[in-house]
Amino acid sequence: MGAIREAFDFSDFPLVERIGFGIFCLFLLAFPWLGMDSFGMAVMIQFLLFSLFGMGWNTIGGYGGQVELGKAQYVGIGAYTVAVLMVRWDIPYWFSMPLGVLIALGYSFLIGYPLFRLKGHYFAIATIATSLVLQDIFINWNFVGAAKGIELPIKGNTFLYMQFTNDTYYYYFILAYFLAGVLYMNWFRKSKLGYQLRMIKIDEEAAESLGIDARWCKIKAYAIASAFVAVGGSFIAVYNLYIDPESVMHLELSIMIALMAMLGGAASLWGPIIGAAILVPLDRYLGSWLGGHKELMGVDFMIYAAIIMFIAAFEPRGIWGIVERYRGRRT
Amino acid sequence: MVLADAFIQGILMGFLFALISLGLTIIFGVMDIVNFAHGEFLMLGMYTAYCLSISLGVDPLVTLPLCGAVGALLGLVSYYGLVRYLLRGPMVAQLLGTFGLMLFLRYLAVFLWGIDYRMIKKGLLVGKSLTIGPFHLDMTKVVCALLSLVAFTVVSWIIFKTRVGKALRATSINREAASYMGIKTERMNALAWAMGGITVGIAGGLLANFYYIYPMVGLLFVMIAFATVALGGFGSIKGAFFAGILIGILETVFPIIGHLLKTSIIGPHYKMTIVYLAYFLVVVFRPRGLFGWEQ
Repeated sequence: MGAIREAFDFSDFPLVERIGFGIFCLFLLAFPWLGMDSFGMAVMIQFLLFSLFGMGWNTIGGYGGQVELGKAQYVGIGAYTVAVLMVRWDIPYWFSMPLGVLIALGYSFLIGYPLFRLKGHYFAIATIATSLVLQDIFINWNFVGAAKGIELPIKGNTFLYMQFTNDTYYYYFILAYFLAGVLYMNWFRKSKLGYQLRMIKIDEEAAESLGIDARWCKIKAYAIASAFVAVGGSFIAVYNLYIDPESVMHLELSIMIALMAMLGGAASLWGPIIGAAILVPLDRYLGSWLGGHKELMGVDFMIYAAIIMFIAAFEPRGIWGIVERYRGRRT
Repeated sequence: MVLADAFIQGILMGFLFALISLGLTIIFGVMDIVNFAHGEFLMLGMYTAYCLSISLGVDPLVTLPLCGAVGALLGLVSYYGLVRYLLRGPMVAQLLGTFGLMLFLRYLAVFLWGIDYRMIKKGLLVGKSLTIGPFHLDMTKVVCALLSLVAFTVVSWIIFKTRVGKALRATSINREAASYMGIKTERMNALAWAMGGITVGIAGGLLANFYYIYPMVGLLFVMIAFATVALGGFGSIKGAFFAGILIGILETVFPIIGHLLKTSIIGPHYKMTIVYLAYFLVVVFRPRGLFGWEQ
């Protein structure tokens, strides 16, 4: 019970932030009635999805300070578990999604154990390497559709398989995940593990000398991050109804996840949400605008890259870091 | 027989891998920073060779000095325009910064040249082969391997025998002590980036002779370079050389083994997987690599 109360307890935030978040939640709940077109709806779903990914990354990447660039492999595990089980054995979403999360957890412990012997750049490159290995395996694995990908059977409107013909259902579906994610992260940042991770980030040796098992803490945070991302992956499977290694396991997806959290402000509750709120609409609207200009191909990614370089060079704490510096306080 | 042939091919590729990894290891050694954009420097070197040899109608090998110059320029611009600022921040920022540079250069190439695969079809050596005993070798690969060996030797000579090289090595061993001795470490950083750029630019010019040229080519080779540098030991030049050859052999011999065993589980489609796995196993079980220092 205590944990649930903690999760709903936002009282340590300033009043402005609490009111702001409350209004934002009302806006999210009312959004489908604001008369947006289907493109706006798709952008909003994408935004909520990437906020969820970013929040997951934030546990290990933000609070733990480990540069993790292999999150796409867990998106893939979550998405493929749902898709393969539904195609092969007609298994409902609500059974395959938890299974996918369990597989992601198991896999994250399996590779997290050797992975967290590493630090810094060794770690970052190794996360990319493991993600690429898994992608290679899926590209060549016929059982899961290899490079062609896998198409989900159309079921019509059903809550059992979580398939709908109307995007509004999908919107509330991902919104529920998003809100659950926010509540979980609100609990997480005040949990023992959350404090341990921040200590490890500041000074790992000091943390160890206080009796914190740094490697075990990182493995746990990595597993939590992986579970978050796998849930998001399972949503992609039923939302897109088609997945392939290129779309759910690509390196660029991993980069986007890390980038959104970094841009908004790592190690803060609002950071990943702010990052996604900026980058997802930028990505979609820029993409649709550039789609009509073939000679400008690649410009959208150049713009992101410029943003990444700028943030990294001048404000590594992200947009939320700028806000907090402006306010002159640190949390 | 097939195995011996693959072995020789592997060694030839290995010389090139060694040259590609050399720049990465120099930069890492001097300033403890991993340059994710290294593969993109290589890619731009390849495009330089391609564009010049097409527009001037000369053999791609003639363009090598210009490829080196482009690489050096890239290195210097990256250092003074970006990396200098990244050094003040935490390591997270350094990683993401060079990552951003990688994306930027890659999509710059998409913007400039599109996503098509290109190949140099004309040249003095293109299509010729060299026959030694029972082995048939591509003339381009042999010459490129030899030229990479030359380039590697020249750069190691500069680092180990000249005064500048000594200053560079001093900076990489202990930055503070080096600056007390009057070495301008800031300038050494720039030099490391310039040298990294030159070597990888030349490597790109060589690779363009026999490899497809496309904007995403960098990722493949930067992962090979990471594996090579990790295997040889981060910052070790001798390590980069031997590890380059080892990775080259691994990458060509591995698919042949699958062919000989008649299984499809081990095959050419997994040849990159084996490189990634090699990286993973090395950093986990022997983080200092073959020739790295004990930390």
